[in-house]
Amino acid sequence: MMFREVIAVLREWCYRLRETIWPRSRDSELRAELAHHLELAEEDLRRRGYSPADAARLARARCGQSENVIERLREQRSVPWFGIFTLDVKLGLRKLRQSLGLTLIGGLAMSVSFGIILTVFMYFDVIVWSDSVPLEDGDQIVAIQIWDPENSRRSETAFEDFERWRTELRSLEEIGAFRTVERRMVHADGQIERVSVAAVSAAGFRVARVAPVLGRTLVEEDERAGAEPVVVIGYDQWQTQFNGDNAVLGRALRLNDTFHTIVGVMPPDFGFPINHRLWIPLLSDSPGLLPAPPAGAVFARLKTDVTLAGAQAELSAAGLLSSGFNSEQSEPLRPTVVRYAANFINDTSPDDLAGQAWQARLIIFFVSFLLIPPCANIALLVYARTVTRQEEIAVRTALGASRGRIVLQLFIEMLVLSTLAAGVALAGVRIVLVFVRRALARELERLPFWLDFDLSPEMIAFAAILAVVATLVIGLFPALKATASFARPGLGALDHRNRKQLGPMWTMLVVAQVAFSFAALPSAIEFGWGVLREAVLGPGFEAGRYLTAQLSFDVDGATRSLETDPQIAAQFNDARSALIRQLEADPRVTTRVTTATAVPGGGAWTRVRAEEAPESSPQPEEPGLRFGPSLVRSVRVDDRYFEAFDIPILTGRAFQAGEYGATSAAVIVSATFAQTVFGGANPLGRRLRYIPPPGQTASQSDAGPWYEIVGVVADRPANPYRGSIFHPAAQNEIYPASIGFRVGSDSAGLREKLRDTAALDPALRVARVQTLEELYDEQATGNYIGGFALIVGGLSVLLLSAAGTYALMAFTVNQRRREIGIRMALGARPRKLLAGIFRRALRQVSIGAALGVAVALLIQVYLPADRVGGLDVPGVLPCAVALMVAVGLIAAFGPARRTLSVDPTNVLREGG
Amino acid sequence: MGPLHGYAIAARLEQVSRGALVANMGTLYPGLMRLEQRGLIRASWGVTENQRKARFYSITAAGKRMLASEKRDWERMVSIIQALFAEPS
Repeated sequence: MMFREVIAVLREWCYRLRETIWPRSRDSELRAELAHHLELAEEDLRRRGYSPADAARLARARCGQSENVIERLREQRSVPWFGIFTLDVKLGLRKLRQSLGLTLIGGLAMSVSFGIILTVFMYFDVIVWSDSVPLEDGDQIVAIQIWDPENSRRSETAFEDFERWRTELRSLEEIGAFRTVERRMVHADGQIERVSVAAVSAAGFRVARVAPVLGRTLVEEDERAGAEPVVVIGYDQWQTQFNGDNAVLGRALRLNDTFHTIVGVMPPDFGFPINHRLWIPLLSDSPGLLPAPPAGAVFARLKTDVTLAGAQAELSAAGLLSSGFNSEQSEPLRPTVVRYAANFINDTSPDDLAGQAWQARLIIFFVSFLLIPPCANIALLVYARTVTRQEEIAVRTALGASRGRIVLQLFIEMLVLSTLAAGVALAGVRIVLVFVRRALARELERLPFWLDFDLSPEMIAFAAILAVVATLVIGLFPALKATASFARPGLGALDHRNRKQLGPMWTMLVVAQVAFSFAALPSAIEFGWGVLREAVLGPGFEAGRYLTAQLSFDVDGATRSLETDPQIAAQFNDARSALIRQLEADPRVTTRVTTATAVPGGGAWTRVRAEEAPESSPQPEEPGLRFGPSLVRSVRVDDRYFEAFDIPILTGRAFQAGEYGATSAAVIVSATFAQTVFGGANPLGRRLRYIPPPGQTASQSDAGPWYEIVGVVADRPANPYRGSIFHPAAQNEIYPASIGFRVGSDSAGLREKLRDTAALDPALRVARVQTLEELYDEQATGNYIGGFALIVGGLSVLLLSAAGTYALMAFTVNQRRREIGIRMALGARPRKLLAGIFRRALRQVSIGAALGVAVALLIQVYLPADRVGGLDVPGVLPCAVALMVAVGLIAAFGPARRTLSVDPTNVLREGG
Repeated sequence: MGPLHGYAIAARLEQVSRGALVANMGTLYPGLMRLEQRGLIRASWGVTENQRKARFYSITAAGKRMLASEKRDWERMVSIIQALFAEPS
C-alpha cells in the first residue's frame, strides 16, 4: 500500500475512533439525505410513466430500505466490536460488583501473585537484561574487562595495556579509564568530609556525551604530569556547597592536601562512570594497576557498524602485554569487551552473561507458576458461578447468541478482573518501592547511575501479558466447560435435569486447597512472627542511650590491606586508640568505649553446630554432632563489651584476662542461642563449631575448631530473631571495627565530637554514627516489609481456602435447589436439611483439613520453624486450625442461609 | 462536473455504465462516507435546482491525486492483462 493510501486509511480509523468515543448523532441528517434520494428516484420513475404508487414501491425496491442503510452507516462511523467490547466491559464490571466476594478474594490473591512475579521481573530487567546505560547511544558503551578464569573473578588492568589499547584498537573509540579514590574534602569552614572521587580520563566525558552546565569537562592537557590540578563538580555539590554560584569556576576545592581548580559543573543526575559527583584527571603517570571493577575500569564506545564480537576479535588479537603480574596462573587472564553495565555486576564470566540472561528468563517462567494456585481457585469459583447462570446463558443462546459470543463475554468479564488485579499489583509494587527507597536511601545512593528500580514500560507490558494468561485460566477454561452442553442450543438447556456436576478435578482442587491452607498457615504464622517480633516488641532497653560507629582505614594502593600489612594495622590501631582516649576523656561518655566486630543486634549471619550432650545416645548420625545447624550472629568483642552495653551475665562466667586473643576457645552465648539450641539443658561446658554455608562441603577435619561455652548473657535487643555468639579478642585484632559506648546526655554533640576527632587522622574513616535505637529502627523497616509480604501472602491463602469452601457449598445449594424445595415442602427440619445437603461438601472439606493438619504436624516435628528461619510459636497449630475452621464456617454461612431461604412454591413452579 | 448529490452520483454511474452499475443506497452512502472519512471527498448541504435541500459531494485535492494514482494503476493492470491475452498461442 502506498504511503498516501496508508494515511487515508489511518484518517478513516481516527474518524471512526473519535465517533465511537464521542458519538454525534447524525441519524436525522442521514434520514433527510436518504429521503431526498428516494423522492428523486420516485420523481424519475413517475417521469418514465409509472403511477405514483408504483413509482414509490419500485423506488424503495431499487434503492433499498432507509433503516438498513442507516444501520450500515452507523457501522461505518464506528470501530467494529468496540461497542460490543465496551458493553461487555460494562457488564463485566457490573457482574464483578454483584459477586463482590469473588472480586475481592480473587482479585487480592491474584494481585499478590502478580506482585511477586513483577518484582522478580523488575529485578532481572534492571540488573540482568539491560544492555544499555541511560546515556546517548548507551548500548554502544562498553568496558574492557580482564577476566581471571582460574579464580572466576574480574581482575585489575595494567596501565600499560590500557595505554596500548588506546593507540592500537581500531574498533573502539574514546577509550578511557577511571579509578575511584577516597579523598578528604575540606570545606571553607574547616569541616572535613570524606568523598569518593573519580580519577577519570578526559575521554570519559566524550563517552558519556553529556555537556557540563557550567564551564568545561576534563581535557587531555589536564592529564599530563605537572598540569594544574583541576576538578569538575556535580550539580548537587554546586548547589549545596557553592549555593549554585555562577562564579564557582576558578575557585579552589581542597581534596586531601591538594587545591584543585573547579573548571566545570555537570548536570543533575550525571554519575558516570558509576555514581560519582566529583571528577579529577586520571594522571598519565599513574602507577601500576587500575583496580578491578567496580573500583576501576577501562571503558570505550564501539565505533559505528562495529559489533561486540568484532571488537572482541580485535582485542583478543591485541591481547595483554604482560601476564607477568599473575604468571603463576595455569589459565591466562583474558581481556574481554563487555557491555558497560555488565562489567559492574558481580563476578560473572563473560561467557556466562548470555546464559545468565536466559537463566533469568527461565526463573521468570517458573516464578509465573505462582499464578496457578489463585487462578485455579478463581476458575473454580467462576465455573460454579457460570453454572448458576445457566438460565441466563440458555436464554441468550435461544435468542441467537453463539457459544463463542457467550464465551467471549465471560472471558472479557474475567479480563476486567485480571486487569484490575494487575493494576493493583503494579500500584502495590510502586508503594513498596517508595518504602524500600526510604528505608535504604543510604544504600541506594551508592547504586550505579543506570540502576533505576521503578515501573518501566516493559514491566507494564509484562503485567498485561500476565493478565491475559491469567484470564485464559480463570475465564476461558471455565466458560468453555460451563457452556459445553450448548451444542444442543435452545431453551432445552433450561431443563433442570440437565444439571452440571462438579467433576472430580474441581473437588480434588478444593480438597487440595483446604489441605494446603491447613498445612501452610502455622508455618506462615511462625515465619511472620519470626520476622516481626523484634520490630513489634522493641529492644527492651534504652537503646537510644548507646552511641555506635563503624571505623575503617584508608589504604592507598591495590596491594596493601589492613589484614595483610602489619604496618597498616598498627597505624589503624594507633588512630583508633587515640580516638577512644579522646572519647573516654569526655564527661558525657559514661562507660568505657568498647570495640567489637559488630554492635548488639548487628553482625553477619553464620551457621554453627553444637556438640551432642554427653548423656545422649552413643551412636549419633554424624559423630560428635547432634544438633542441626543454627543460624547465629557471631561477634568478636573486647574486654569492655558487656560492660559498655550493660549486658548482664546470666549464668557461667565472663571472659578471663588471658582469653582475649585469636586462639581462645572460650565463647559466651546469648540467652536466645542457649534456648533455641539446647532447649532447657545447661549450655555451660558444651562445645560448638562453625560449619560452611549450604552448598559448600567440608570434611570433618577442616570444619573449624571447637569452642566451649563458658557463659550465657542476656539478649540485646531483648527479642532477637536469632541468638548470638561472642568471641573474646584483643582490641587490636578486631577488624572491621565498630565502637560503642553509653552516653549520659547530649548524644548529638557527641556525634559531632566523634566525627571531628576522627577527622584529625587523615586515614581514619568513621561511618554510620548512630544510636542503637536508630540502628534498630532501620532494621525494623526491612522487617515490617518482610512481615507485610508474609501477612498478605498468608491472608490470600486463607481467603482462597474460604473461597474454595464457599464455591463448593454454593454449587451444592444451587444444584439441589429443587430437592431442597421438595424436602422443605414435605416439612423437613432445617438442621437435618442442612446436614443432608452439605454432608458431601463437608466430608470433602474435612478430608482436606485432616490431610493439611497431618502435614502441618509432620512439618512441626521434622522441620521446626526455628531451624529454617522462623520462630517457634507454642500452640500455633491448634490456633491456626481454629482460625481455619472459623473461616470455613463463615464461608459456609452464606450458602446455608440461602438453603433455608429457598421458597418451595417457587422451586416447584420452576420445575414444572 | 461540479458537486453532485447522492442520487445524481448514482444516476450518473448508471448512465455512464449503460445500466451495468446500479448503486442502491446501501452501497452508495457507506462508500461515500468512507471516502469522506478518508478525506478524498467533502460533503456540504446546499440547495438543488428545484429548491430542495440536499447534500452535495465534491472531490478534494487529495481525492484527485488518489484518483489519478488509481487510474494509472488500473491502466497499467489493463495493459498487462491485455498483453497477456494478446500473446499468440
